[in-house]
Amino acid sequence: MAANAAAAPARSGSRADLLLRAGLPVTLLLVGLFFSFSAPSFLAPANIESVLVNNFALLAIISIAMTMAVASGGIDLSVGTALDFASLVFVSAIATGQNFYVALFGGLLAGSMAGLFNAFLIVGLGITPFLATLGTLFIGRSVQQLTTGGGIPIYLSKSKVAPESVFLGHGDLLGIATPLWIVLLVASTLAVLLRSTVFGRHVTAIGVQSTVAWYSGLPVRRNLVLVYILAAAISAIAGILLSSTVNAYVPSTGNAFLLNAIGATFIGTTIDRSGRPNILGTVLGVLLLAMVSNGLLLVGWNFYWQQVGTGALIFLVLVVTFASRRWRKVS
Amino acid sequence: MSTLPLQPSSAEPEHDQAAPHRWATLVLQAGSLLAFAAVLIFFSATAPFFLSFFNFTNVIAQSAILAILAFGMTIVIIGGGANVVTGGIDLSVAANLGLSAAVYASLIQAGHGDSTAVAATLLTGLLIGGANAFAVVIVGILPLLATLAVMNVAAGLELVLTENTVVPASSSFLMAINDAGPLGIPNLAYIVIIVAIIVTAIVQYSALGLRLYAVGEHREAARAAGLPVQRYIVGTYLASGLFAAIAAILSVAYLSGSSTGSAELLLGVVVTSLLGVVFSRRLVPTITGSLLAALFIGFLSNGFQLLNISSYWVSGVQGALILVVVAVTSILRRKET
Repeated sequence: MAANAAAAPARSGSRADLLLRAGLPVTLLLVGLFFSFSAPSFLAPANIESVLVNNFALLAIISIAMTMAVASGGIDLSVGTALDFASLVFVSAIATGQNFYVALFGGLLAGSMAGLFNAFLIVGLGITPFLATLGTLFIGRSVQQLTTGGGIPIYLSKSKVAPESVFLGHGDLLGIATPLWIVLLVASTLAVLLRSTVFGRHVTAIGVQSTVAWYSGLPVRRNLVLVYILAAAISAIAGILLSSTVNAYVPSTGNAFLLNAIGATFIGTTIDRSGRPNILGTVLGVLLLAMVSNGLLLVGWNFYWQQVGTGALIFLVLVVTFASRRWRKVS
Repeated sequence: MSTLPLQPSSAEPEHDQAAPHRWATLVLQAGSLLAFAAVLIFFSATAPFFLSFFNFTNVIAQSAILAILAFGMTIVIIGGGANVVTGGIDLSVAANLGLSAAVYASLIQAGHGDSTAVAATLLTGLLIGGANAFAVVIVGILPLLATLAVMNVAAGLELVLTENTVVPASSSFLMAINDAGPLGIPNLAYIVIIVAIIVTAIVQYSALGLRLYAVGEHREAARAAGLPVQRYIVGTYLASGLFAAIAAILSVAYLSGSSTGSAELLLGVVVTSLLGVVFSRRLVPTITGSLLAALFIGFLSNGFQLLNISSYWVSGVQGALILVVVAVTSILRRKET
């Protein structure tokens, strides 16, 4: 549904088309250049690492989950809920003295349950994804309030934190922070899954024309179930990562990522030839958001103006993209 | 399909082009009204003071802000078509309320009068609505996406203006809004009822409203019939912005200042507008339906409070409610085919 409208007429190869698809990378480059001139510390390795670990990694993972749902023609408003559930179970398990791996497994499972619930609502009951996942979001908020006495965070004392957890949140491998490895792993796995497997092609077919996919004999229902469970499981990874970074579970933090994840996913569709959601585009979209908020901070904008700047930039990218699409359709 | 507000999942091929059979919608509509009545009766029987006149009018007053925001959202959904992803939706209403309320409170703080503040607030709301209209109609961005971006900008501007603090504001005008009016009924309750009557008259009972439905349900047909489709859609976003500003003024009066948590309202507004669908005869978004839905949610939270049930349940019950309603609707539809 979203995909239909987002899909531009594929006239690949034309100059305007290339120009449009180059829009996001060029914006990234220009924004990067602008900040490296106006804020010398922007390109400092420490700053780059901080941007990537603090502003980029979590949002990237959640946006990848969102991309899956949008690629299948739906949307998942409960990605934050899956993140929160994973974080809740993971931190509670560690707090009660469970083994790290038990906690990890429990967390991922708990997060995936949100996806299973979505799948039941969407495929089983026939509720539209937007409403189904909105319902999950609301119910998830209540569940968290009820289990935490109204939203009291759970903090882990230093002694309880497992070394594996420290590695996940603050460690590095070959000089690159672990969260970035996880993003790389998740992004490349999902990119291959979406682009080069039968499952991925089915998902795309369902996203473009679900009725046609159904008449063509594709297992639409089974694939949609998988998509929503997968989206929740990916968000659960972000939940584990977040808990490992801050050594705590704070109720209902996941929703803070929701709108930026939707924004990044749709900004990402601009680099695809036929305007489809794709993992690379989404990751670049997240990178743009992360870079802008960090860059604005460095050039001395306060936190509040950063919000305006980031919002205005997203707006601008969307306006340019959609205006050129429309212009192309007319000409 | 676009006549049906709540479409079956894309997992199913959609055969049912026909309008729902009358009995099914009757069952559903009666069912939702019965559910509303059952909730009221249940709380009246169990919760002390629930049935009191004072409590009743208070709930209506407390639902005013949600209801008026939902009116704007409902108009956008009517004009844009009810598909939640590609159709009309305005995610910026809550952020718009936050910004407009901040404008009002800041101007009062700076020593300006109420009339200046009211004018500036309404202008702010209209500007945000205008930004949405520009992005959706002129540029052609998906409403979901366009209003999301505008929401971020508005929320950012609110932060700039208030630095994330509550800006207190008091004036005789604000006090009057928050006072009790004739018969001891809060003025807020009068305001929401009057606004609801005016908007219902325009949207449900005027030629303009009928055309608006035509634009939302059959855009191509409306265009072919010579309606200025674009202008109607621009109008819906401007209306939504205006209602956000009106709700902002009520909110400043109710809270004696701006508030920092207005973004929280958004999902409640979306739920209210969508829930309102089941209170309408044709299962389409209507102003009266949205008003009933807002009151329903208001009475539900109020009853919970009086029964000393933890407020932690409220959002879960809202979520479950919308799922049940939507599931029943789509199952009824499926049976008919």
